[in-house]
Amino acid sequence: MKLIKAIVRPNMVDNIKEALGKLNIAGMTVTEVRGHGRQKGHTAVYRGREYEVSLLPKMEIEVVVPDSAVDEAIKAIIGAARTGEIGDGRVFVMPVEQGYNIRTGEKDV
Amino acid sequence: MASWVAMSPVKGRDVDQAELRVRLSASLDEARTQLIDATERGEGGRAALARHAECIDSIVRELVETARVHTHAPLAVCAVGGYGRKSQFLHSDIDLLLVFGGPIGRPEERFVKALLHPLWDLRFQVGHHVRELGDFDRLDTTNPEYLLALMDLRVLAGNRELTDKLAAVMKSSAPVWRPQILDALVTLTDQRHSEFHDTLYQLEPDVKDGPGALRDVWATRMMLRLGGDRRRGTRGPSPDRLSDAEEFLMRIRSGLHVDTGRNVNVLSYELQEKAVDRLRYVGGDMRRRVEALMTDYFRDARSVTRGLGRVRRAALPPAPTPIRLIGENLMWVVEGITFADAAVAASAPAEWLRAFEAAVSRNMPVADDALALMEREQQRHVYTPEMFYPTPEHQRRVLQFMRPRPGLSARLSEMRDCGLLGAMFPELNEIACRVTRDFYHKYTVDEHTLLTVRNAERLLTNPRFGPILREVHAPELLVLSLLYHDVGKAREGDHSIVGAEMAAAMISRLGLDHEASQTIDFLIRNHLKMSRIAFRRDTEEPEVVRQFASMFGTEEQLKMLVLLTLCDVGAVSPETLTPWKEELLWRLYVDAYNHMTLGYGDDVIDRDQALVAALQANRPSDISEAEMAAFLEGLPRRYLILFTHDAIYRHVRLSRDIRPNEAHFFLEKKAEAWELTVVSLDKPFLFSNICGVLAYFGMDILRGHALTSPAGLALDVFQFADSDAFFERNSQGPKEFDRRLREVVGGETDVTTLLKSKEGSVLARRSLVRRTPVVHFDAGHSQRYTVLELVADDAPGLLHRVSRVISDSGIDVDLVLISTEGQKAIDVFHITRGGAKLSEDDEASLKADLERMLKETA
Repeated sequence: MKLIKAIVRPNMVDNIKEALGKLNIAGMTVTEVRGHGRQKGHTAVYRGREYEVSLLPKMEIEVVVPDSAVDEAIKAIIGAARTGEIGDGRVFVMPVEQGYNIRTGEKDV
Repeated sequence: MASWVAMSPVKGRDVDQAELRVRLSASLDEARTQLIDATERGEGGRAALARHAECIDSIVRELVETARVHTHAPLAVCAVGGYGRKSQFLHSDIDLLLVFGGPIGRPEERFVKALLHPLWDLRFQVGHHVRELGDFDRLDTTNPEYLLALMDLRVLAGNRELTDKLAAVMKSSAPVWRPQILDALVTLTDQRHSEFHDTLYQLEPDVKDGPGALRDVWATRMMLRLGGDRRRGTRGPSPDRLSDAEEFLMRIRSGLHVDTGRNVNVLSYELQEKAVDRLRYVGGDMRRRVEALMTDYFRDARSVTRGLGRVRRAALPPAPTPIRLIGENLMWVVEGITFADAAVAASAPAEWLRAFEAAVSRNMPVADDALALMEREQQRHVYTPEMFYPTPEHQRRVLQFMRPRPGLSARLSEMRDCGLLGAMFPELNEIACRVTRDFYHKYTVDEHTLLTVRNAERLLTNPRFGPILREVHAPELLVLSLLYHDVGKAREGDHSIVGAEMAAAMISRLGLDHEASQTIDFLIRNHLKMSRIAFRRDTEEPEVVRQFASMFGTEEQLKMLVLLTLCDVGAVSPETLTPWKEELLWRLYVDAYNHMTLGYGDDVIDRDQALVAALQANRPSDISEAEMAAFLEGLPRRYLILFTHDAIYRHVRLSRDIRPNEAHFFLEKKAEAWELTVVSLDKPFLFSNICGVLAYFGMDILRGHALTSPAGLALDVFQFADSDAFFERNSQGPKEFDRRLREVVGGETDVTTLLKSKEGSVLARRSLVRRTPVVHFDAGHSQRYTVLELVADDAPGLLHRVSRVISDSGIDVDLVLISTEGQKAIDVFHITRGGAKLSEDDEASLKADLERMLKETA
């Protein structure tokens, strides 16, 4: 199993959910986050006064998928979240040793 | 202490422990079965719970008898807490107090074990306190829960001599520890309520600990016992009403224990459906039946909460507030604001609002007797909404009352609870206790609505949005929009549209003008749009911002919508408005604001657009299609949104036969302010000169617009306050103004010379605030103009001086947005030199000149 963590534009979450749904990946955790990558924010002006927008609002999506579905899932996320502009986000993949269903106590296979 | 069981003072019985356990287990099973059966019949209330407690009493007594073999010491075993009250639910804990007449040694410890172990074996959750009688001489006040549990002490078994002593000790020391228990009870109640955000209107309420739930019923009774008659004349809750509410809540809670098999007390959506079947709610579909159940729940919880509030205030020592008259038939008393003469108040419902006005201004409640009077009179008489605001003055007071400030939402809650809010605004009755079932909302629709108003109060201190709220010209319209934004949920259809239609009735009753009506209608219809775009669309995409900004006619509407959105999202649940979401809303607001104020000059009127077509279609016969089209040519599209058709037709007429150095204008009084509309052919210093004339007469410019067309026509519209009442005090004032304006625009009089004569008088008025002025150039938002933003302390003649500096530099003023927000002037100039944007050198030079002028005149 792998944990896929994607940092994406807030408005792309529905697209990603739909794309993963087509792969029968239904479970996900979505968190509101703020940060920056190469898109280090910018300066905005309100009524003549500048203010720094250094941390940008993003969404973090976490899904755990079987090893066999990792490539397809990554492809689906990138396809759904991509605009081609700076700030589209990042995808990280991490190994998961074990997972359990709390209600049933069953171990994920 | 009604229940007594005498037992041998010397020794207990030797019994077969296994046989005992089997017998007691069977006895307990039978008691539980009886309680479950009663619960399933919808009768799991007071009587069933008492029977259950009495059965457990028998079990405890038998175990005490058995354990007595371990000690000869005098002792007493007592039920405390809910068990002491015989409110023993299926899976509730049992709380016991064990008191020994002497020191506790090994034999007494063996007794305790012999009593508790079998209870644990029977799967009871036991809470126990072990004390020596001497401990009661000096009560442990560090454990408020323990103190409170003692108040429901019921002796189950014990030596009569000891239990008599215990009773005597508790009675004699009562005057000492009762105040401590009362304080503890108030503190614990407040803490408990705060865990539920101080509202009973939870969609999934906790029927034990939530505000208005069972623990509050008990707290009310306890405060009555503890507080005694500290404040005579204070009306407590009706015993029958409290008892009925308790019975209803008990039956629900019993059902929760049966349904979940555990000590679960949250009436979740799923369990609400089970409760309606059990409590025999019939008629309609499941949703309707659940709503009927929850309406009953909220009614009872509200009744409990109000009773508790009254008793709580009466039980605590009164604050040293003098009783005094504070206005016509209003008194300030210990409990809050009340009517001096109840009979007079009863006959004048249009004056009831005054009590709430006085309460808001003093940040205190309206007293219970005043609330009760209003509630009672509404039950006796039928009032139409108009009877609460029968005259324009009353209507004005309603609007004034709605201005957001600390305490407003609390007073509106009182108005709701005594029925006045629904009587004044009957549409709100349709959302009373209305349940919204989704994953987000935590409160009923009416409670959510009042929480939005509370959020508006809190926004006043928000560093980002507080200034915006203070800037809006009519914040009372924001509150009215908040009150009505969800009323449409009571009916079928899109609730934003239905709500706007329902609000139209209120708008008509209050006699609101066209502008106010448009604002409320706009806000209600669009109350979900900003959050949808901010949270779900890519707002870094300029087209998304452009489309969003095109919704608004003015920045005022944008400001109102962002404020309404914040208040609305924040009232869904305490967790919904995260800093992340607030940031998204702020950015969308800033981007849209900048688009509207910095970029509107490029968006010129298109002959084919619908707004022009409508204008042409309604054109009066004296204006030809060609004349209309020629007038509009090259003006920003914003012009069509800012002005009504009638105003535009007047502008067209003003522009007729205009010649160089002429000013065609009209001056009129509009509500609190005056409005000057000037049409002339553009030339250098024109805008500055008109501003100078206004400054000469001591007028404070509040807001305005200056527009120029490619054909050289200049249209300037100013709204200003006649702060020195010049027009009022001088019957020839308007004529004098007319003459001066024509002279100055015609070049016959130099406005600077005129103003010099006024130095030291009207021009000497200065803002008390000293903020560093901001002079900022934006070359990015507009393709045609350099945009100059200026934010500075407002001062008489400021706009004249600023525009003069610009014109002195040989720079043309093409478009101007003027606004003042409190003592702050915010002006946006679209400027060019020779028809092109300014160079960087031009910007630097103009900035230096402006800053120098601002410094010199500060």
